[in-house]
Amino acid sequence: MFKELDPILHSQLRLAVMSLLISVKEAEFTFLKEKTGATAGNLSVQIQKLKEAEYIEVQKQFKDNYPQTICKVTSKGVDAFETYVKALQGYIKR
Amino acid sequence: MENNDEPLSQAKSLELIEEMIYKAKNSYHESGTSALLWGGIIMFCSAVSLGNIYWRIGWLEEVWLLTILAIIPQIIISIREGRAQKFKAHTDDAMSGIWISFGVAIFLTSYFTNVIKVEGAGSLFLILYGMPTFATGYTHRFTPMIVGGIVCWVCAIISIYTVLQADFVLFFIAAFFAWFLPGLILRRAYLKEKKTNV
Repeated sequence: MFKELDPILHSQLRLAVMSLLISVKEAEFTFLKEKTGATAGNLSVQIQKLKEAEYIEVQKQFKDNYPQTICKVTSKGVDAFETYVKALQGYIKR
Repeated sequence: MENNDEPLSQAKSLELIEEMIYKAKNSYHESGTSALLWGGIIMFCSAVSLGNIYWRIGWLEEVWLLTILAIIPQIIISIREGRAQKFKAHTDDAMSGIWISFGVAIFLTSYFTNVIKVEGAGSLFLILYGMPTFATGYTHRFTPMIVGGIVCWVCAIISIYTVLQADFVLFFIAAFFAWFLPGLILRRAYLKEKKTNV
């Protein structure tokens, strides 16, 4: 039924992360963790998958001597997200 | 939320997207501190300047220098808020650009009116006050700041036809509606949200 849907996005946590990142310019890992309620380990794995698909950029830096991970959606990610939403709407119209 | 690669239904997917976008949008809360700071300072300076027309105390004429001193707490507030912020909104850079331009424009207008000695310069400042205020309110769909910006421009028009004493009253009114009142509203919402999240 959902064969046409992007498998990278068609997963609960990855879709949640992409939806959050689409709404902001960039976000810290802690923000994504807080809003999705996911565990740090699981979130890291899903972020890595989104990064490998080039849907997001991940920047690691230090803030007040603590490591900080910042995620930002790429233009490829925006296109994929739009295509995914359009496909979903297409299914609903059927 | 734990990831699983179980297929999501289309309804569930859309519901999840909506939920996350809603959560992200509702995470954006201005503390209102900067608006309260600048609203308070301009109101204070206006009130003192108005009073000093009758008191005639020499050193009180320099009360507007407080606006330069207020840059220090503003920098501290900006740094603190920047550190506490866990995400950056799409509009953040544009807003910073607008308010920095405003600061530069106010400084240059002050310099200009001091050198050239322009009469009725109050209108110029009130026009400038309205611009970033209206732009901020319009961008964030925050009605009190849209109204505040319009109040500044109405005060600017009134100022053209009134005497200097009235300018200080107009500055006071403009600062109250443009910054102090929106600042209070933002502060209340911010503290309420903070309390909810504790």
